[in-house]
Amino acid sequence: MNLEAFENRVLPTKNKLFRFAFRLLGSSEEAKDVVQEVLIKVWNGREQMAEVQNMEAWCMRITKNLSLDRLRSRQRRATDPIEEGMQIRNETLTPHERTESHENMQRINEMIASLPEKQRQVIHLRDIEGYSYNEICEILELDMNQVKVNLFRARNTVREKFIKINAYGL
Amino acid sequence: MDSKHIEALLEKYWNCETSLEEEQQLREYYRGEVPESMKEVAQVFQYFDSQQKQQVNSVDFDATVKKKIKQQQPDAKVVRLFQNYGRIAAGLLVVVAATYFVRQEVRKAYPPEIADTYSDPKLALEETKKALMMISKGFSKAQKEAGKIKVFNEAEVKIQGKTPDESEANDTKI
Repeated sequence: MNLEAFENRVLPTKNKLFRFAFRLLGSSEEAKDVVQEVLIKVWNGREQMAEVQNMEAWCMRITKNLSLDRLRSRQRRATDPIEEGMQIRNETLTPHERTESHENMQRINEMIASLPEKQRQVIHLRDIEGYSYNEICEILELDMNQVKVNLFRARNTVREKFIKINAYGL
Repeated sequence: MDSKHIEALLEKYWNCETSLEEEQQLREYYRGEVPESMKEVAQVFQYFDSQQKQQVNSVDFDATVKKKIKQQQPDAKVVRLFQNYGRIAAGLLVVVAATYFVRQEVRKAYPPEIADTYSDPKLALEETKKALMMISKGFSKAQKEAGKIKVFNEAEVKIQGKTPDESEANDTKI
C-alpha cells in the first residue's frame, strides 16, 4: 500500500475511529492520540494488510485495543479509583448541544457512559455507527450471541431508564 | 409512514430484531415531527444522530499523521534491511559451523597417516628408517634402565634369604 492508497482508504476512517476511542476513553485529547497511534500502526503494518478483508473493521479493532490499553494504564496510575465513565459525561457532547442545553441529550449521554464497557461498545457501534452484527463481532472479537445480548441489555437500559421514566413523568 | 408500522418497528428495535435498514427507517422517522407520546424515543434517536456527526476536532490532524508516517518510513526500512542481513549472516554461520564439524568428523574417521606424505619412495624409506631407528634407540635406552630393576630384585632375594632357584623363577615371572 502506498501513501495515496493510505490517504484514500485509511485516513477517511479517522472520525469513526475517533468517536469510538472517545466513547471508550471519554477524553477527546486522548482519543486523538489513540487515533494517531492507530493510523501509524496501520501504516507500519501495511505489508500484512493485503490479507485484511475489512480494513475499517480492522482499524476499529486496533482502536479498541489501544483504547483499552490506555484505560488500563490509567487505572493503574490513578491513586483512587475513578467511577467508571465519569469523565465521559460532559465532554462527549458537541458544543452545539451544550449551548442548546438539551438536558435530555445529556442524560442519555450519561446513561450510555455509565453502561458496562461491552454494552457501551456494542450500542455505540450499532446505533451510532450503524455496523452490521458481523462487523461488530469482528471489531470486538466477540461471538454473535455475546454481541446481541450486550446490545439487548444496553438498549433495554436506555428504554427503562430514560423512556419509561420520562413517559410516565416519574 | 403510519404510526402503527413505526410502533411495530420500534418494538422490534427494543428486542434487537431490526435490520440495519429498518433502524435507518426509524432514525429518519424520528428526525421529523413526532407525536408527543414519542418524544422521548425521538430524543434517543436524535442523540445517536448527533453523535455520528462528531469529528476529530483538529485542523492539522491529517498533516500531523502524514508527517509522522514520513518520519517512520526510513527507520522501518533500515531496521528491516538489518534484519535481512542478520538472517543471511546467521545462515552463513550455520553453514560454516556445519562444514567445520563435518570435516573434523571425516578427519577422525580417516586418519591422515593413510594419506601419502612423501612422493619419492627413497626419501620415504629414509624417513621411515630414521623413525624406526629413533624408536629402537628409545627401546635400548629403556632396556638399560630396566636392568637396574634386576639389581633391586636380586637384593630383595638376598635379604629374604631365598634360594637363587626361586629367585630365578621370580625373575621369569617379572
